[in-house]
Amino acid sequence: MITQVPHPVLEVHDLTVSYDQHPVLWNVDLSLPAGQLIGILGPNGAGKSTLIKSIMGLIQPTSGYIKIFDKPLPDVRSRISYVPQRESVDWNFPASVLDVVVMGTYGKLGLFRRPGKKEVQIAQDALDQVGMMAYSKRQISELSGGQQQRVFIARALAQQADLYLMDEPFAGVDMATETAIFQLLQDMARAGKTVLVVHHDIHSAMNFFEWCIMLNLHLVASGPKDQVMTEELLRKTYGGKLNLLTQVTDLIRKQDFNPLKR
Amino acid sequence: MTFDTNAFLIILTGALIAISCGFLGVFLLLRKMSMTGDAISHAVLPGIVIGFFVSGSQRSLEVIIGAGLLGILSTLMIDALRKKAKVQLDASIGITFTLLFAIGIILINLFAYKVDLDQECVLYGEIAYLPIDLWITPSGINLGPRVTWLAGLNFFLVTGFIYLLFKELSLTSFDEHFSSAIGIPAKGVNLALMSMVSYTTVSSFESVGAILVVALLVVPPSTAYLWTKSLIPLLRLTAGLGILIAILGYYLAYWIDSSIAGMMVAVAGAFFFCSALIKGNWPLGIGGTSKSSPAFDS
Repeated sequence: MITQVPHPVLEVHDLTVSYDQHPVLWNVDLSLPAGQLIGILGPNGAGKSTLIKSIMGLIQPTSGYIKIFDKPLPDVRSRISYVPQRESVDWNFPASVLDVVVMGTYGKLGLFRRPGKKEVQIAQDALDQVGMMAYSKRQISELSGGQQQRVFIARALAQQADLYLMDEPFAGVDMATETAIFQLLQDMARAGKTVLVVHHDIHSAMNFFEWCIMLNLHLVASGPKDQVMTEELLRKTYGGKLNLLTQVTDLIRKQDFNPLKR
Repeated sequence: MTFDTNAFLIILTGALIAISCGFLGVFLLLRKMSMTGDAISHAVLPGIVIGFFVSGSQRSLEVIIGAGLLGILSTLMIDALRKKAKVQLDASIGITFTLLFAIGIILINLFAYKVDLDQECVLYGEIAYLPIDLWITPSGINLGPRVTWLAGLNFFLVTGFIYLLFKELSLTSFDEHFSSAIGIPAKGVNLALMSMVSYTTVSSFESVGAILVVALLVVPPSTAYLWTKSLIPLLRLTAGLGILIAILGYYLAYWIDSSIAGMMVAVAGAFFFCSALIKGNWPLGIGGTSKSSPAFDS
C-alpha cells in the first residue's frame, strides 16, 4: 500500500542503506505531499532514524537517491530543519536555552557571521511558540526531558524551514507535553509546512498524523492515515508482536475511534 | 624592588602560552577530546624532526608545517581506528600517539649527528633560557626574546581563530549531527581545531615541553569548568587562571630554584585540586554516608 503523489515535497528513490554490509533499509521508494503532518512508524530497529538521517545526508546510502523540493539536498539545505534524538547530545554542555535555540539560525548566517538582534528575536519567537519563554536564561543542564525536547523543537522552528524532520521528538515526554507539541506541529502543517516525525506510539499516531509511513527494514506502507492504518498493514509492520497489536486494538476500542470500519 | 625585565618577559610568555592552550583546551574539554590534545602534543614529534631535518633549523616554518601535518594525521588516524577498525577511543589514542612519538624518537636518534635537537629539549623545554635567546634583525636591532614573539603570535592566532569560528566551534561541540544537517561541516571545523592544537603545541614546546603543554591544555579548562557552566565565563576564567599560573609558577620556581614550567603546571594542579575539594561532591566525614545527591554525570 504505497501511495505516490504528484509534485512531492520529498521523494526517496530505491534507497538502500547498510551499516558494515548489514542492510538496515531495503529498497525504500516513496513520495510525500506538502503541508501535512507525517508519521514514520515501525518497531525498534526498523530503520526509522536511518531513513531520517539518510534524508538529511548524515548517512551515505548504499544505493538510491533523495530529492527534496525537486532538488538535491545541498541546494535546499536552508529550507530543511532537523531535530536529532534528544539523547544524541550532552545536556551538560555550558549553554543557556536561548543559546541553543539561536543555533537554529546559524545555517542561514553562514561562516564567520555572528548572530545579532534579529537572530535573537527569531529564537525568542520560537521559544514563545513552544511555551519555553520563561526558561530562556536557564542552563540546559537544568531542564527536564520534556523541556529539553521543546528546546530542540524551538531550535528547529528558529531555522524557519519548510520541511521539518524530527527524530523521536516524543521520547521521554509526558502526555500533556506530547499533546501540546502535536498541536503545534498541526498548526505548522496547516501553515503549509511539511512535518515528518519518527514516532512509535501507534495510538497517538492515529489521532494526530494525516499521512503515515510504515517501516520494517523495507517500506510496508506510505499513504493517508485512513488507508494505511489497517490491521493487516500494522501486523506486517510490527510482525509477530501481537501483544502490542492487541493493546492497540484495545486502545482504539476504548477511544471509540476506528478507522478500520468505515 | 626594581622592575625585573626578565621576570616580566618569562611571566608574559608563560601567560600567553597558558591562555592559548587554555582557550583551545576548553573546546577539547567540551568535545570530550582532552586526551586527543595529549595525543597531538606527542604525535607532532616526527613532524618536528622532519621539518628540522629539511630546514636545518629549529626555528623554521617547515617545523611548524611538519608538526601541523602530523597533528592532523594523528587526528585522522585516531578517527579512522575508531570508526573503521572499531577500536575504542582511548585505545586508538594510545596506539596512535605512542607509535608516532616512537617514530619521532627513532628519527631524532638517526639524525642526531646532524641536528642539534635532543629529547630533553623536546620533552621538557625551558622557559628560563628565554631572555638569552633574542630575535636580532639582520641590521642588528634587538627585538627582544624570540620565544615571546612566537607565543604572542600564537596567542593572536588562537584568539582570532576562536573569535571568528566561535559559533561553529560551539555548535559542533554541542551537536555534531545538527551542525552537519544545517551545512556547517563538523569534520572541517574539527580538523581546523586540531591543526590549531598542533600549531600551539609546537609553538609552546620550546618553552614548556611536549609533556607539560598537555597539562596547560587540560588542567585550566577543567578547573574553570568546576566553577562555571556558561561558555564565555568559562573562557574568561580559563584565561585568568592562565595568567595566575604563570605569575605564581615563576615566583615559586624562583624561590625554590626549580623548573618554571614544572612549577606552573604544579600550581595549575593545586588550583584544580582546591577547586575540586570546594566544588566536588564529597561524602561528609570519613566513612560516613553522603547527604548530598550523587553527581549527575559530570
